[in-house]
Amino acid sequence: MLHCDGGEEKIKRSLESNANFVPLKSISNAFLRNLCKNPVDGFSAGLVDESNLFEWSVTVIGPPDTLYEGGFFNAIMTFPPNYPNSPPTVRFTSEVWHPNVYPDGKVCISILHPPGDDPNGYELASERWTPVHTVESIVLSIISMLSSPNDESPANVEAAKEWRERRDEFRKKVGRCVRKSQEFM
Amino acid sequence: MDSEDDMHDAHDVDYYEEDYYSGDAMYSDDDDDDDAGYGYLHNDSDDSDDVIVSRQQKNYTILKEDDISQLQEEDITRICSVLSVSRDSACMLLRRYNWNVSNVHEAWFANEDKVRNAVGLLDKKDIKPPKSGELLCGICFESYPLDRICAAACGHPFCKECWTAYISTSINDGPGCLTLRCPIPSCGAAVGVDMVNMLTSDEDNTKYRRYLLRSYIEDNKKTKWCPAPGCDCAIEFDLGSGSYDVTCYCSYSFCWNCTEEAHRPVDCETVSKWIMKNSAESENMNWILANSKPCPKCKRPIEKNQGCMHMTCNPPCKYEFCWLCLGQWSDHGERTGGFYACNRYESAKQEGAYDESERRREMAKNSLERYTHYYERWATNQLSRQKALADLHQMQTVHLAKLSEKQCQPETQLKFIIEAWLQIVECRRVLKWTYAYGYYLPEQEHAKRQFFEYLQGEAESGLERLHQCAEKELNTYLNEDGSQDEFNNFRTKLAGLTSVTRNYFENLVRALENGLADVDAHGASSKTSSSKNAAGTSKAKGSKGKGSIRGGATSRTDDSTVWSCDQCTYMNPKTVTSCQMCHNSR
Repeated sequence: MLHCDGGEEKIKRSLESNANFVPLKSISNAFLRNLCKNPVDGFSAGLVDESNLFEWSVTVIGPPDTLYEGGFFNAIMTFPPNYPNSPPTVRFTSEVWHPNVYPDGKVCISILHPPGDDPNGYELASERWTPVHTVESIVLSIISMLSSPNDESPANVEAAKEWRERRDEFRKKVGRCVRKSQEFM
Repeated sequence: MDSEDDMHDAHDVDYYEEDYYSGDAMYSDDDDDDDAGYGYLHNDSDDSDDVIVSRQQKNYTILKEDDISQLQEEDITRICSVLSVSRDSACMLLRRYNWNVSNVHEAWFANEDKVRNAVGLLDKKDIKPPKSGELLCGICFESYPLDRICAAACGHPFCKECWTAYISTSINDGPGCLTLRCPIPSCGAAVGVDMVNMLTSDEDNTKYRRYLLRSYIEDNKKTKWCPAPGCDCAIEFDLGSGSYDVTCYCSYSFCWNCTEEAHRPVDCETVSKWIMKNSAESENMNWILANSKPCPKCKRPIEKNQGCMHMTCNPPCKYEFCWLCLGQWSDHGERTGGFYACNRYESAKQEGAYDESERRREMAKNSLERYTHYYERWATNQLSRQKALADLHQMQTVHLAKLSEKQCQPETQLKFIIEAWLQIVECRRVLKWTYAYGYYLPEQEHAKRQFFEYLQGEAESGLERLHQCAEKELNTYLNEDGSQDEFNNFRTKLAGLTSVTRNYFENLVRALENGLADVDAHGASSKTSSSKNAAGTSKAKGSKGKGSIRGGATSRTDDSTVWSCDQCTYMNPKTVTSCQMCHNSR
């Protein structure tokens, strides 16, 4: 299911000019060696702009047997200059109604949080970002987030309340998002 | 008694000066309960001698950076040899158990595996790295020859560049780097000092060592940093050994318990309340409440800054109203008693319909005044102390040498001046805190308040005398050549004042620290529970050799170098004809 979108060529070209820059090396290796060799079901990725390796456009396909089934959710994954020692951020550009997605689309899951002490004390250090995480593990986490929302520390309080108390309403709203996402395909 | 008398002969000056303070009504009058008091006092003074001795023995150690490193090394070595682990592991174990050697021992011998797991000390597994060839770095996914690959005890391979970046990120994130683990989330093998040394830049390495050193002080229950700006020393305190006041090498005195500046005799709780109060916005609120009224229309607070009752609110409101009754101004006129004499308020007050908010304002105003009273005095003593510190410094750096030249005396002979100034600084500090103490002393405890104010007043005037002597009289010797004799007289006077003031303040501190308990005790047992009697007991109590001084005081009253005022019992030198305290003539 993985679509490299011709990104492979672009990345190789980009690498030739920055051969020893660690973040680029990590990002491109993550892409070329991991994603191309071990494709993740329900996910495709490519560069937003071929001159910039730090911004990726990804599409997450709503996992089967969930409320999000059938949706094509676009997101921008932004890598920081000190990647892989700091995590990338992921922001949905499609509308996603979900307790762990901020109203502006930013995804809030523990492996996208920098290591070190958690100011809220919710997450174990081992659940947080470490440089061995890859685009693959992030995408897997996002897919698992779509299947089972965590309403304990919600990014979208309204959505969390609805998910907990008025599931029907929540289902309707998610259905609307799924249909909308299909229109843009 | 005899030995104490001898002692006093040796310190004749102290002797004389002490009368200034200790000569009290209770002792010069031959009171009935005097005898009982004697025995009691005498026993007590023995006890308090011990107190004084134990206080002079320091119950803390000042640690410089080298000392800290050395102690840390010693602890690590101890763990190494007892548990037979590497220094690296010993360091991690100690950090985990807040650098408490015996806790590490205890936990380790109770359940070694549990401790190893918690800290991330894996037994070196049988990792059989390929003898040759390449390994894939788990972070950048490049293959590297073995010599460019590194691993913690768990053996998970990463290239040296990625390790360096990983460790460096963690170090720059803060002290969390001290508990760094293998990057594999499920692994948990600790990354210790050895790897950090091997893989990081000098700069990061220095930071790491700094964190390690800080951890030794900050995680340890027995040590704290000196809070003075720019001071690198730490204080190790013997827990449970009495007074928390410590003085660092940098000469900053602070309370080891709460790390605020030294605040005996006031307790930490009161200090934090007082500091909160000083900074709290609540006082501003009280001020606004006390000095302003809200405009009846737009509710903005208005301060009345002119005499007239006719108020006009600022545009855009422009509401005109009467300050007294807050009624509309146009309602005011002849029939309501005239524009400038709104009698509605007066009549309302007479009828008892005294507005609730008006009363609150009144109360707020009173409480604000009360607070201001104490705060002003607290702050003035603070300023005075700072000035005294500056003067002390000036004395040590400039004046002492000058004086030594003028009087042809070695500087070591002039130490008494420095001691006087140190005493002034200390007394200002104590006096300052007595105002916080006074603020929180319950209003209804009349006897205690009276006693407290008496003690405070005495302290204040005593200190004033010392301060004056050290400041003004010394100046005369700095500016002109006084004769040798005069200067020697000055020496005895200043040294005497210093010692007397020190004693007085020590007793004051003790009296306040035990919550002026003497007032209760005395009030219950004595028929005359006046504050002065209570003052006498407290001052005598715990003061070194008071019993004998009292004897001396009486005898010297007879040989009339001093006379006791009939009214306030203050011991005046015979040269004055009216009492220095209450101006009652002899």
